[in-house]
Amino acid sequence: MTPSPMDPRPSSKKDRIDALASTAGTGTAVADVHVSAAGKVKDTGGVSLIASAWARLRRDPVFLLGAVITILFVVLALLSPWIAPNDPTKRMPELLKDLTPGNIPGAAPGFPLGSDEFGRDLLSRLIGGARQTLIVGVFATLFGLAGGITLGTLAGAFGGWIDSLVMRIVDVMLSIPSLLLAVSIAALAPEPSQWTVIIAIATVQVPIFARLLRGSMLAQRASDHVLAARALGVTQGAIVFRHMLPNSLGPVIVQSTLVLATSILDAAALSFLGLGNPDDRQPEWGAMLGTATRYIQDYPHLAFYPAACIIVVALGFTLMGESLREALDPKSRR
Amino acid sequence: MTTTTPRDTNPMDATPTDTSNVADRDKARRWQQGGSEPLLKVRDLRVTFQRQGQEPFEAVQGVSFDVHPGQTVGLVGESGCGKSVTSLAIMGLLPARGNKVTGTVDYEGTNLLDLSDQQMRDKRGKDIAMVFQDPLSSLNPVIPIGLQVTEVLERHRGMSRKAATPVARDLLDRVGIPDPDRRLKDYPHQLSGGMRQRALIAIALACQPRLLIADEPTTALDVTIQAQILALLKELVEDTGTALVMITHDLGVVAGLCDEVNVLYGGRIVERGERHDLFAQPRHPYTHGLLASIPRLDAPRGQRLNPIPGSVSDNLPWTSACAFAPRCSQPIEVCTQKMPELVEQHQRALRCFNPVEANR
Amino acid sequence: MTDNTDVLVDAQGVKVHFPIRRGVIFDKTIGHVYAVDGVDLQIRRGETYGLVGESGCGKSTLGRAILNLEPPTEGSVTFDGVDIAALKGEALRKKRQDIQMVFQDPLSSLDPRQSVESLLFEGMKAHGLAKNAKEARPRLVELLNAVGLPEAALLKYPHEFSGGQRQRIGIARALSVNPKLIVADEPVSALDVSVQAQVVNLLEDLQEEFGLTYLVVAHDLAVVRHISDRIGVMYLGAIAEEAAADDLYATPLHPYTRALMSAVPVPDPVVEDRREQILLTGDLPSPSRPPAGCRFHTRCPWRQETKCDTERPVLRIPEIPGVGEGHRVACHWTEQIQSGEIQPHEVAPTITDASDLGAVDESLMGPASISEAL
Repeated sequence: MTPSPMDPRPSSKKDRIDALASTAGTGTAVADVHVSAAGKVKDTGGVSLIASAWARLRRDPVFLLGAVITILFVVLALLSPWIAPNDPTKRMPELLKDLTPGNIPGAAPGFPLGSDEFGRDLLSRLIGGARQTLIVGVFATLFGLAGGITLGTLAGAFGGWIDSLVMRIVDVMLSIPSLLLAVSIAALAPEPSQWTVIIAIATVQVPIFARLLRGSMLAQRASDHVLAARALGVTQGAIVFRHMLPNSLGPVIVQSTLVLATSILDAAALSFLGLGNPDDRQPEWGAMLGTATRYIQDYPHLAFYPAACIIVVALGFTLMGESLREALDPKSRR
Repeated sequence: MTTTTPRDTNPMDATPTDTSNVADRDKARRWQQGGSEPLLKVRDLRVTFQRQGQEPFEAVQGVSFDVHPGQTVGLVGESGCGKSVTSLAIMGLLPARGNKVTGTVDYEGTNLLDLSDQQMRDKRGKDIAMVFQDPLSSLNPVIPIGLQVTEVLERHRGMSRKAATPVARDLLDRVGIPDPDRRLKDYPHQLSGGMRQRALIAIALACQPRLLIADEPTTALDVTIQAQILALLKELVEDTGTALVMITHDLGVVAGLCDEVNVLYGGRIVERGERHDLFAQPRHPYTHGLLASIPRLDAPRGQRLNPIPGSVSDNLPWTSACAFAPRCSQPIEVCTQKMPELVEQHQRALRCFNPVEANR
Repeated sequence: MTDNTDVLVDAQGVKVHFPIRRGVIFDKTIGHVYAVDGVDLQIRRGETYGLVGESGCGKSTLGRAILNLEPPTEGSVTFDGVDIAALKGEALRKKRQDIQMVFQDPLSSLDPRQSVESLLFEGMKAHGLAKNAKEARPRLVELLNAVGLPEAALLKYPHEFSGGQRQRIGIARALSVNPKLIVADEPVSALDVSVQAQVVNLLEDLQEEFGLTYLVVAHDLAVVRHISDRIGVMYLGAIAEEAAADDLYATPLHPYTRALMSAVPVPDPVVEDRREQILLTGDLPSPSRPPAGCRFHTRCPWRQETKCDTERPVLRIPEIPGVGEGHRVACHWTEQIQSGEIQPHEVAPTITDASDLGAVDESLMGPASISEAL
């Protein structure tokens, strides 16, 4: 019936045929091919779901492309002080001499991308910006994830009035447009800093994660294997943390890779609106993009480079997330 | 225990309603004496699924059988035996990509596999109709039942909506849906499972097809509802002379309904025969084992069942052995060395090196 | 009626009603699904009690109510002298050691992320039977051997097994805590025909080996008859007839039992050609609006003008000579039907609007017989 292979283990089949071939011709008329009552069980270690998902991911070109982009980005971020040819915070005398109110110097020897609006090396600022961008993206996602998992687990594990209460809070948060919410939270802070940006973006992500997790937790709650665990007399805590949560995390993990991409974009938007980190000694792509828009008529390249970096990195995470989603989907397994 | 039981209490010989006796069954077997040309000739049908990054998998590995007008042919087997894929291949309903179908499906001189999508669409519903397992997902949920029947009439018989409506009403009545005038306007979700399956049969019958393929039509239904649907199918076949291909895993269903039975295992037919003959003397160890492993309602209690060991995942590849050999009760050496061929003899066909002894 | 000492489970007046809620802000109860509506049932120590019926008859819900996985709305379930229906929290959790369950779908009832070892060990740990997996290992291997699986299976995950093997793991898990009663909910209906017999035999062997008591819930009358000592036939939330397995087949008394038995196809063309069926007309009524009086009267070919549609019959021992002991039936006219005084007649089919308020959600009931999907 199923149009997929009944036995996806050709190697074991071959082994068995080989074994049969070696026993054949020994003169017995009756072939010794009986299986035991329960059928054959391979004599090897088991393959968990994660292991089989990983085996498929390793061969998925989309995932590999996403992973390469992401790894390059992370390496760049970690090693930026050593990779950057110049100090990204220093106004370079070589560039300053050509910098006038009407002219931002372009490419020059030693400065392949030229100068920014204050006479600093654009390439070095892009490389240095990777670190700040990564910090913003990763921490915003992590905080959002932590909040979302907490709320989602509470709602999904207990149900009843706790679920109703948590979900109403989440609904209220979702009803405010996300950027508006982030702007409001960022504006609440006495003075904007890197961390206000992170917290603002994380807060926006919390309801998304919470809703997603609660949904799959509820599905798990009604599932046969959770019922089986209850029937077995497993304690409530073990059911939540051993059975429900691990089986519900798949979509949340996928979502978090996508959120990583969007939180970089959100950070860019906040910086653009002037709510980003005002300290421009720590270059950040979003902030660079924000300030570059002032010169976009005459010097579009100032906006183009950070924008391109953001797009490529966001694409890397998105590709990874998409193929991860496909690999973790139980329906695509077999 | 059963001292003073009056005669009519045993349900096996109880009185009411349905009356299909041996004489009636003989009428349905006109195709046998007439020596008619087969309506459908399936020859060496092979279906290979090819998925990206996976080894190609041959679900149907050379299936051949005939269906004569008015005949009911059963395809029986367990999950993975290729019975449903066979039916979908005949109907041209396999997904357009990821599979390869070879062989011939000869319907009155036309090879259905050669037809274009458009030509096949004209054939489907008009000449060949199909009834599926899950009536809810086979019906369009947002269109009333009546409209779904008239649509077929409009498309294949060129009727106007107005002319088609009373015909649709009669069809619903014919398949035993009570109060058909009202039900014409009902949506699928408003009907019970059994009524939905009736509606689906009405749609299949709309164009008086000469061949009806039923893929597990009663598997999703309760026993009492299953009995209703089977009685309906039996009656329709006898009244209209439609040929029926019945696909099922349930040997009980086959025993009561089919004239000829094909038993499939691992994508190939392993045994074929007229139903009385086949059930009385199953020769293939698989057929024999299946019959021995099913608890029967009319058998004395207290006997242990004789299961077939293992599962289909223990199969050997047909190319170099008998796929069933590892699970077989009486394999001989040659069973693991080459594939047995399907040998036809006395209106029986058998694919086995060491068949079960005939017990008569 | 039965010797009280050997009764392991005594369910009295069990009702399970599911509220149907609807509402925009506040959920309002607008009706009930009467899944189980007043069932008395005794299971003796060491026997196999079979519960049959069609989807929506409440047999699975009753099975779960006996485990208190679905708390009964009313009634008591006395297990070994303790009322399980009244237990809560930690006391209930501890009591679960005695009553285990085997599920219909062996894949969905095994956590896909747990290896067989941790699946089997989990219950033992929860009930303090072993401290760590290492210490429990000999026992785990023993459990696997009992269900016919090799030790190598311990390290594997559910998706690496065939359907029959998974069901064996499910059974081993149930056995892991040394239960006294196992409730098996459609234990074979999701399996291939050739594998069903393996599991049926295994259940029989284990019963003998471990002295288990079974409650087998299934829709397949042939399987239930084969495995059970006593059978209860359920229709719309109540038991219509209860008898020893042999008696039920030899002398089915309730009109519904007769129809049900006559509808089961037998894999024998000779029998199939000869037999005449009692074809029921119409649909099963919605359990949210069960018919008044006898629940079967809307489809019953033996229905009478009086009593049937007004008075709900109780499960009673009929006054028919020769009927086996403990054969009980809920029909007003059993004696007259049996003697031939009342003859069957045509029944005008009634149809149930499936979208009706509170009609049973099919996914909730689970189509018990989809043994294979495309």
